[in-house]
Amino acid sequence: MQPTTPPPGPPKRNLSETVWTKLDRKATAIAEFTMRQYRKKRSTWTVGAVGALLVVIVLLFYIDAMSEGIESVDDDGDGLIDEDPSVWTLWEGGPTGPTQADRTLKSVGDVDDDGDCWAQENFRRDQNGDGIDCNVIYEYDRNGNLVNIRADRFVDEDPNDGEFLEEAMHRSFLLGFGKFGFLFILGIFVPLFLATGLIREEMDSGTLHYLVGKPIARAEILMYRLLGFIGLAWPYFIALFVLSALVTGIFGPGDSIYRFSDLGIWFGILIATFLTVLAYAAVFITFGIVAGRYGVLVALLFAVWEFFMMFLAMIGTTRDMGIASMSISFWGSEIINSTAWIIWGDYAMMSGQSLAVDIALWTVWYSPFPTTTPLLNLVISIVVLLLITGLFVLIGQSSFKKRELN
Amino acid sequence: MMPDFDQVGEGQTQQEWQKPPEAPAIMVDHISKWYGQVIGLNDVSLAISGGVTGVLGMNGAGKSTLLKIIVGRLRPSQGQIRLFGTDPFKNPAPYHRLGYVSESEKLYDWMTGLDFVTTLARLHGMTRDEARGRAEHVLNFVGLSDVGNKEIGKYSKGMRQRVKIAHALVNDPDLIVLDEPLQGCDPLARTTIMNVIRELGAMGKTILVTSHILSEIERITEQIVILHNGRLLALGNLHSIRELLDHIPHRILLRTPDPRNLGRTVLPHPSVYGVRFPNPEELIIETNSLSDVHQDLPKLIVESGVEVTAIENPDDNLQSLLGYLIGGRS
Repeated sequence: MQPTTPPPGPPKRNLSETVWTKLDRKATAIAEFTMRQYRKKRSTWTVGAVGALLVVIVLLFYIDAMSEGIESVDDDGDGLIDEDPSVWTLWEGGPTGPTQADRTLKSVGDVDDDGDCWAQENFRRDQNGDGIDCNVIYEYDRNGNLVNIRADRFVDEDPNDGEFLEEAMHRSFLLGFGKFGFLFILGIFVPLFLATGLIREEMDSGTLHYLVGKPIARAEILMYRLLGFIGLAWPYFIALFVLSALVTGIFGPGDSIYRFSDLGIWFGILIATFLTVLAYAAVFITFGIVAGRYGVLVALLFAVWEFFMMFLAMIGTTRDMGIASMSISFWGSEIINSTAWIIWGDYAMMSGQSLAVDIALWTVWYSPFPTTTPLLNLVISIVVLLLITGLFVLIGQSSFKKRELN
Repeated sequence: MMPDFDQVGEGQTQQEWQKPPEAPAIMVDHISKWYGQVIGLNDVSLAISGGVTGVLGMNGAGKSTLLKIIVGRLRPSQGQIRLFGTDPFKNPAPYHRLGYVSESEKLYDWMTGLDFVTTLARLHGMTRDEARGRAEHVLNFVGLSDVGNKEIGKYSKGMRQRVKIAHALVNDPDLIVLDEPLQGCDPLARTTIMNVIRELGAMGKTILVTSHILSEIERITEQIVILHNGRLLALGNLHSIRELLDHIPHRILLRTPDPRNLGRTVLPHPSVYGVRFPNPEELIIETNSLSDVHQDLPKLIVESGVEVTAIENPDDNLQSLLGYLIGGRS
């Protein structure tokens, strides 16, 4: 119990150790400390468990829907399944909107798999008049949207409503789950509950001076606390992604055991969620500092705004995108959209197949914005999200620097 | 005039080169701090370098505010603060040489003592191993090595205070600022903490320690600063202040089975002007020279042959010291 010899000074360092290695040590120390602190908090476990439960329930619904399968419909009642995809009648009124000059025509060669078009007399094989027998012409407008399909007679049995619808549902599920489930619900609530208090709670509990009273700039403390949050949140999301990707890949439509083609989409959703969560965390940690004890309230209002902007982005026209782009959720979902356009390039083909398929895809899949090039959009969205993150980190840092700690 | 090619100069070269004087550890320059309409500190100036300094003051006198400004938690409303020549609110560099024990009793209860000190040591830029080594060392220094692996939440109050001191020592600071380190501790813990502070002072560190109990500070240091209502009331050696205090009316309380007999022996002493017997077990001596009476008291007690179980100075506290100092001003 009695004091012993006085403590000696810190040990001598190697010449190779620089300011950076020291910064590195401080960063890992704070990040590690933050993560251990999370582990001790009940709220962390609650948020994590609720999120995981949500994902599991949604996946169970998905499995249920996929295992039931979808019956094809014999629309005209001639006993042959699917002779008359409803979409063709939908476009019977002829092209609306853009004039013919704006159109791109894409002829698709022999698509009459069962050969009943070929069984017709010669002059009946080319009713769309493009000089090719038994084929389909897809008409696209300038923006690459499919506006019309002109097919030769009897080249219509091949689209299988059931298969297409199942595929469309699977895709809509992936996109919708990615956007709403991950990007929005989890993406906003996990940072809301776990990042808002990163600095705020320490201020309120009177323990912040232990961290602030050390030779580190306060701006760094904020960064490293954020790093600690990311160290917890990102692996958590990866775990949920692996689970979701496994379940949807195995139970999804397709002949193989696993739908490897979806992995690209999952990767896109993962990137989108990572960046969105990071941006939200930066926003909320800043709200916690700037808005004081009202931080959570301000954060909730912000979440409502985000929700409406995401909604607007979904139902709005291109004109509304300008407003919608004033939100983080918009740019996050834009990453997912762009990935979908890149990975699932056959969307345009699918969307012409039936009204049901269209409806399934329509709500979660819209044209890329601000440019029409998916890859460019992807890059722009990532940059915008990073800029938003940086901006809010800067605001938080400058506010934190000036803050007195009573 | 010829240039001085030989670079001899005029007597300057003969002078030996001297290290430029270092900025004082603490430099408080006309600092005021107000919270809205309430004044926390009023034009306080101080310079402290080396030694143990006690900051005395009643609750709300501005001790904590002063310390919080010194360690850069608060920004002064007016005036300047320099730690080793640097403003701690703007620049965390002086924290390399500072150890701060706050008055807050909040700690990370879920961490073990060793973890707590190690984690904070790493914020000084130490590696994991260095930090752990230092943490073990300082915990040993404050006498907590045997409970280092216990959670802080299970610590007693004295242990909590000591783990706070340990964390402040981990960077081997030149300046240690302790805010009410003895508050709420039992006598044993108090003694241990006081020993630690005295020992640190003997190691040549600059130490600033606050308290509202005069006798505590007296056991640690002689150099004191007295704050009252946000103002700097007195600054200097406790003994000289005490001597002033000596000549004001004072009471000495003695507990004895035979107060009347003892009273008879004491009364003739030139400095004693009265004795009272508040109850059959106690004697109160009224004097105007405390030190004279204390000097002769043992002899007188032996003379009277009466057994004395306790001697107390009920007036020897901060309250009466402040009363005297304030009274002396007006």
